[in-house]
Amino acid sequence: MRILGACKVSKEGVIVNNESKTELLASSDDWKKELYSSLKIDYPKFHKMDALAKMAFLSFQYLEQVIETDRFQDDEIAMLFANTYSSYDTDQKYLESYTVKGSPSPSLFVYTLPNILTGELSIFKKWYGENIFFIHENFDPEFFIDQINFYLSKGAKACLCGWVDAANENEECLLFMVDNTTGEITKDELLNYYKQ
Amino acid sequence: MGSIAKLERRMSQIYLSYGGLITPLGTTVSENFANMREGKSGVQKIKGSGFNKEDWPLGKMETLTSNNRYRELLNLTCEKLIEQNGEQLFSDPRTLIILSSTKADITDLPNDTFASTRQILNERLNPASAPVIISNACISGVLAINTASDYINAGKYDTVVVIGIDVLTDFIIYGFQSLFALSAEPSQPFDKNRKGICIGEASGTIIVSKHKPENLFHVEYLGGSSSNDANHISGPSRTGEGLYRSVNKTLQRSGINSFDIDFISAHGTGTLFNDEMESIAFDRLGLNNVPMNSLKGYFGHTLGAAGVIEIISTMLMMEHGLLLRSIGFEETGTSKQINVLKENIQKNTKVALKTASGFGGGNASLIIKKSV
Repeated sequence: MRILGACKVSKEGVIVNNESKTELLASSDDWKKELYSSLKIDYPKFHKMDALAKMAFLSFQYLEQVIETDRFQDDEIAMLFANTYSSYDTDQKYLESYTVKGSPSPSLFVYTLPNILTGELSIFKKWYGENIFFIHENFDPEFFIDQINFYLSKGAKACLCGWVDAANENEECLLFMVDNTTGEITKDELLNYYKQ
Repeated sequence: MGSIAKLERRMSQIYLSYGGLITPLGTTVSENFANMREGKSGVQKIKGSGFNKEDWPLGKMETLTSNNRYRELLNLTCEKLIEQNGEQLFSDPRTLIILSSTKADITDLPNDTFASTRQILNERLNPASAPVIISNACISGVLAINTASDYINAGKYDTVVVIGIDVLTDFIIYGFQSLFALSAEPSQPFDKNRKGICIGEASGTIIVSKHKPENLFHVEYLGGSSSNDANHISGPSRTGEGLYRSVNKTLQRSGINSFDIDFISAHGTGTLFNDEMESIAFDRLGLNNVPMNSLKGYFGHTLGAAGVIEIISTMLMMEHGLLLRSIGFEETGTSKQINVLKENIQKNTKVALKTASGFGGGNASLIIKKSV
């Protein structure tokens, strides 16, 4: 396996393949909206997404600038995602909808599952591949390497992997894509992408 | 492909056996099955359970009495596992624990809602490796068994203990209520009069191992897969595309043909769109005549536990040569004809298909075979 590209987005900015791509206005309240505007794409569904799905969507846009994903068939890419806090940010907002604001919000409730973001990416790309979402105490590169090996050996041609978390103002998202070309991925390589 | 799949299967034979089952119908596997074959349902109207104090029918466990049902159920699950299997299995360095849950300890907000899961598993079962947690909506349980087989096939572990668990909370009940997805009467999967879901709570445990469990009932795991609908985050595909693709992939990986399937444990939530979608997928797969049921009438929809407890129930049906009726089903209510069981039937089932579909557009499936 070989890493085709990696993209980290956060309120600090965007880093693609270890190179800083975009810096965000320090004053911006909504950095995700700012990034969306700067990308000049028209995808109204973006505005309905929760923080997790928005970050994954944005990061994926940058990845697609450096990776030719359309060379894969619509079911050849497995999506392997994980985080620590599940859908924490949306869980809190949905909880407030009925404890504080009067009634449970259906539009928030549907985002109270972390894997909704893989659904959003699948819809955006019309991808029918395998999906899975794990909850992990910390970003664990070895765990991702295991999962990538499992899915490539089961027949996937590539894996879109992600660590996307949103809890208590702390928002981070790393997406990376690997294919089944001969090669090795090291733990340090993934850790460097994560820590950058 | 068929021959390759068969070759792989020979290289690593994988067996599933009962770990435990705690539901409103009982706290052991055998107690649950005794009640299921009598046609008993664990779903009943719970007074004032709705956001506006409606009496929703729910699969609620009377045995849980503390103010944290999740921790109580997970502790009870671990206690029973040790009681029945001893401590050695769980602390063995060749054993991994995988837990499947959609919301875990959600009433613990604003704390980390999965922290207590790790803590309880580590304290109670003392595992050598950190447990793996899967949270992928209603297909989590089936994905957990598929992931267990991945770890064993790769030689990483010899045995994987898969726990599926979710409990009833206001969070979940109010959420499904806000989507108008709850049924005011016990749910009726695949029936003409179906009106929605009844939520339930349960835990189920399956021991997945490369070691053949001697003197214990077991089935062989043949293969599994998942596929996204790429259609909608909270509504099923109109064409059943994801489910269709997942079952096809699972058949291929299992090295068998669709006509080898003797029984289907469907997802069957009881909503108009989900059950219709499943009928379309099964029709496209040519599985119209295969006997099938939804077990949601027995337990309600137990979300992250559903896949696991329904695979356990399917194993029980295989063990006893008895296919259970689909509670709540009387008259076909899907556009495609499918063979939903109205009565219990005696049938020796060799090969069974389990399917699941859920929010986020996920679909998952797996195939198990009775060992001879």
